[in-house]
Amino acid sequence: MNPVSATWNFLYKTYHRLASPREFYTIAQYTTPVFGVLAFVLLLCGAYLGLFKAPADYQQGDSFRIIYVHVPAAWLSLMVYVTIATAAAIGLIWRMKMAFVVAICSAPLGATFTALALITGSIWGKPIWGTWWTWDARLTSELILLFLYFGVIATYYAFEERKTAEKAMAMLAVVGVVIVPIIHYSVEWWSSLHQGATVFAEGGPRMPADMLTPLILMIFGFMFFYGYALFIAAQNMVLNNERKSKWVRELVTVNINTTH
Amino acid sequence: MNALLLNTLTLYFRREWQLMFRNTGTLVQPLVFFVIIALLFPFSLPVDLDLLEKIGGGVIWVSAVLATLLSLERMFHGDYLDGTLEQLLIHHRYLPLAVLGKVIAHWSATGLLLSLMSPFLCLAFNVPVEQIWVLFIGLMLGTPSLTLLGAIGAALTVTLHRGGVLIAIIILPLYIPVLIFGAGMLSQQVQGLEILSQIYTLAAILVLALTLAPFAIAAALKATIN
Amino acid sequence: MPNAESNSRSPSTTEKLISVTNLCCSRGERVLFNDLSFTANTGECVHIVGPNGTGKTTLLRTLCGLNGSDKGDIRWLGQPISLSDAFTHQAVYIGHKDALKNELTALQNLRFNQQLESIHDEDALENSLLRLKILACADLPVQALSFGQRRRLAFAKLLLYPKSVWILDEPFTGIDAHGRTLIENLCVRQLKDGGTIIMTHHRSLQETALRTYSKEVFIQPQESIL
Repeated sequence: MNPVSATWNFLYKTYHRLASPREFYTIAQYTTPVFGVLAFVLLLCGAYLGLFKAPADYQQGDSFRIIYVHVPAAWLSLMVYVTIATAAAIGLIWRMKMAFVVAICSAPLGATFTALALITGSIWGKPIWGTWWTWDARLTSELILLFLYFGVIATYYAFEERKTAEKAMAMLAVVGVVIVPIIHYSVEWWSSLHQGATVFAEGGPRMPADMLTPLILMIFGFMFFYGYALFIAAQNMVLNNERKSKWVRELVTVNINTTH
Repeated sequence: MNALLLNTLTLYFRREWQLMFRNTGTLVQPLVFFVIIALLFPFSLPVDLDLLEKIGGGVIWVSAVLATLLSLERMFHGDYLDGTLEQLLIHHRYLPLAVLGKVIAHWSATGLLLSLMSPFLCLAFNVPVEQIWVLFIGLMLGTPSLTLLGAIGAALTVTLHRGGVLIAIIILPLYIPVLIFGAGMLSQQVQGLEILSQIYTLAAILVLALTLAPFAIAAALKATIN
Repeated sequence: MPNAESNSRSPSTTEKLISVTNLCCSRGERVLFNDLSFTANTGECVHIVGPNGTGKTTLLRTLCGLNGSDKGDIRWLGQPISLSDAFTHQAVYIGHKDALKNELTALQNLRFNQQLESIHDEDALENSLLRLKILACADLPVQALSFGQRRRLAFAKLLLYPKSVWILDEPFTGIDAHGRTLIENLCVRQLKDGGTIIMTHHRSLQETALRTYSKEVFIQPQESIL
């Protein structure tokens, strides 16, 4: 068998295994600690290198170091929203239960990353712009993104019937992802105060390597942390959603017996 | 085939108007709300005609957004309560078109009338005549998009008893682009800059909303009604 | 264990008009019915009997495509109904809600339903009102009608266009004895003309004309364990 079709088969099988809540729960029991350890190590290394080893910025001094939280959080805030919309679309098209679980469990995490990006951006802005808040394009887009997250979460919890809630939430997420680029473009047009893109500008990164390495470590650390938190939240939601099914009952009885 | 499609659209358009004429109270409410909201601003600001002239356009835009938002809840809720909405879903042959007919009727009773009223409101804000035109064109191009986007939120929340606040949370962030370009046209005009690109952008958003929103509304109704 | 028994009188012909196999529906955490199977042929009235809360209404709404099902399938002439556009053209559903607009008159309500099918026939409108003995209400707004009169008006819709499948939810609630006979006669007429009726009722039919055409499907209350 050629490697391409082998990979495809593997992905296909994994997809189908992940689609079943029970299989997901079993797989997640192994992946959760792996993601947790990777996140811990990467964040620790990134934070150490960023805070102690990276040189101070020649203009901003040590205050630039907040970038090691701000940029990863801002990155994740967008990535998580795209993840939600993708999972929501999969759930709507292929009626996959687990996709909805992933989408709704990601929403509070994404909202938290967005809030973190906003708060750190505001703290960073104080010494640089001399004010906590300016209506610059990226900060404003981030704020609107936070409202989009609130909308998704509020929609899910407004419905009593879970299936309806999942579908309504998914639809809103998909509509939102269509509009996000338009919002971004419009806010960009509306205000262009901010400095240019720092990390991946045209013609390669402008940051020196010893500043960039911790940033990349932090971004990957954030990603693994997101995966770790998502797996835990999704496992809990699966247990709650399937609490009437046989396998969850068995699981719970086994756990009670072993702890006694 | 095409005649049937058009038939569905015009039937629902006509019926909405028929219903609204029987219920003139709800027809007038958003208009009164629009005027009151706009006229609240001068009371909360220092008495300064130059300031009013500067903010007038923006205030009228925000009032139009809020008035549209207020009127959204009634778009599908009555139909849901009396069972006509589920009949519409069962005869789903041209559901997006039927929905579009309703939305256009709804816009002509809110957005269109708001746009027509805006010049008079401009007088209260001392807005110069050449800007009144810009505001009018912006509202005429922007409010249909507002109604189309809002209808998605109205469809998602139709089964909820108190969907009003949720609609606002869902929909207001999505209104920002229209608001930015609509109100932005005015500040461009004041600075003596070209406003054609904003007009095109508003028109592009409208075309996008007009083609995609009816399908999203139909899907949202199907998902939430059960 | 199949918990829906059917005392079918028709011989098992090759292609059933409607066949429901192993249908399972749940509402929230509760399983309403499990493994429900029955068939309906032309000239047959399927009578779904069961106590409150067993999912009779959900079953009808699933047939109409308003609800989804967890398992099993519903076929129209051997084709799944979700794929069969013909089914929605041929079926008409009357639920608990009358799907009438309060603000419009009885005649206007009927006319709209007729126009949706691209028919224009004023005589048919009056005739249908006449057959349900509510012609006197023709020009009254629906909100002026009594509950029983509204129910009759809802059933008058059935006479506007020939539809082969009638799906009726508790058709006899809130209707006096005279009205009940009228509706039963309509049903018998529909069955004689080769139509099909699927209706719910909370108890078995009494000795009436309709009974000879009926077969009963019982839904038992479920223990809600998967």
